[in-house]
Amino acid sequence: MLKDVTLGQFFPGKSILHRLDPRIKIISVILFIVAVFTASSAVSYAFLVLLIGLMVAISGISIKTILKSIKPLLIIIIFTAITNIFWTTGDNLLVKWKFITIYAEGVRAAILMVTRLITLITGTFVLLTYTTSPMALTDAIERLTSPLKKLHVPTHEFAMMMTIALRFIPTLIEETDKIISAQKSRGADFETGSLLKRAKAIVPILIPLFISAFRRADELASAMECRLYHGGDGRTKMKVLKLKFLDLAAVLFFIAVIAAVIVINKFLYY
Amino acid sequence: MLEFKNVTYIYGAGTPFEIKALDDISIKIEKGKVTGLIGHSGSGKSTLVQLMNALYKPTSGTVLLNGEDINKDAKTSHDTRFKVGLVFQYPEYQLFEETVGADIAFGPRNMGLSEGEIKDRVMRAANFVGLSPEILQRSPFELSGGQKRRCAIAGVIAMDPEVLVLDEPAAGLDPRGRSEILGGLMEYRKKRGNSLVIVSHSMEDIAEYSDNIIAMSKGKILCSGTPHEVFSNFDILEDSGLSLPEVTEVMHKLKTAGANINPSLYTVDEAYSELLPKLRMKK
Repeated sequence: MLKDVTLGQFFPGKSILHRLDPRIKIISVILFIVAVFTASSAVSYAFLVLLIGLMVAISGISIKTILKSIKPLLIIIIFTAITNIFWTTGDNLLVKWKFITIYAEGVRAAILMVTRLITLITGTFVLLTYTTSPMALTDAIERLTSPLKKLHVPTHEFAMMMTIALRFIPTLIEETDKIISAQKSRGADFETGSLLKRAKAIVPILIPLFISAFRRADELASAMECRLYHGGDGRTKMKVLKLKFLDLAAVLFFIAVIAAVIVINKFLYY
Repeated sequence: MLEFKNVTYIYGAGTPFEIKALDDISIKIEKGKVTGLIGHSGSGKSTLVQLMNALYKPTSGTVLLNGEDINKDAKTSHDTRFKVGLVFQYPEYQLFEETVGADIAFGPRNMGLSEGEIKDRVMRAANFVGLSPEILQRSPFELSGGQKRRCAIAGVIAMDPEVLVLDEPAAGLDPRGRSEILGGLMEYRKKRGNSLVIVSHSMEDIAEYSDNIIAMSKGKILCSGTPHEVFSNFDILEDSGLSLPEVTEVMHKLKTAGANINPSLYTVDEAYSELLPKLRMKK
């Protein structure tokens, strides 16, 4: 039941997007987000949608997966569309019926806002979540934030915490599944009854889960100490991140995208 | 009693990640007997066990308890869990109540029994697994590993199931803890007369306690029957990488070396009385 949840949505692969340095991917995503927020004309949005289509094609991730990732945000998307359609005023009245008034500007704003949301979501997913392993991602965050070390921010420790948290999500899901089955075997009922009764039924799951999480944390701490883990100082990496030509090209490419969006906004405003 | 009819179970049916865990399984768990279920990890033992109390529903085929389909409707499935008690592997991690007594009472309370009856059952179950009454007032988290295990097993015994299914009840315990828990379970079965299913990958334990053995491999039944019947299938068991009890192994080696003996024996006493006269004859 819980196994159906897609967590850590990384899809291993060998595409260009997979091979990019994770640091570059984070920077690229930021540049891409800037591009999306800079876009104001319909043509520039069309350009961004095209770009995303290209990235999806390169990454080799199926359209079905992409649609699935948008699904949880459907409510927000619909809500955005509705508020924009009904609450934007303008000069060109389209519909006027009782208290409902829709302007052409509203429809345009709704379409653009929805496109903006979808491009934002798909862009980050394709560039980052789907094509970067969680480990590479935390590594990149550690490296990118390393200047903060000068200000005594424990960046390595934060990255380590993230890595450990990500690592244990599947383990804890499996554990929860097991505990649920075990309590069901003792006649626990999670599906029927009043809300209060169902909330109470969660206690026999939560307590064992917490206890096992603490136990695991304790064991892991001992295991790390046995291997002389002492934090980030003087620690070297097995996989050293090295920038390649491709990475530089990617950054330049996304800067070019921002430039293109600005130019399109100016000359092809629709 | 408990019967599987052509049961197939597929994980993630209809997705690209389909795994056939059980393939057309038909077995019978006989009333009042101890059935040992043996197989490697990944052979489908744990899946089979969770089909026994309707935690899983078969992809195809039926599971019958006293002739009734346990997956008929939600209520039947729920009630089946009181009739087929399932103790998971490492059950000590499911303890959650403030006291040992309250934790053992969780199952009976879900059955909707009266407080008096619950109390009786808790005392009885604790007694079967060898937990003294004063432990019932303590927190389950203060207990030793072996005591926690007993407490968890007592929690299922307290439901007084017709069939008690235990997945690796002795895993991770020292030899003394093993024989205490397994011995306690045998005692319990003798007194209550219900069926016991013990899952294990230790041939020794299974051979020592079972009336019937079901050996599984890759989601299929390899062979089943009394220990003697199963252990005479030396080649089949060895091909699938299952070890034989040490005694049986020695007997088999003697047989292949040319001795005229029954190779399916599995206890030291049996082997002794089989071998002794033959050794005397030689002299």
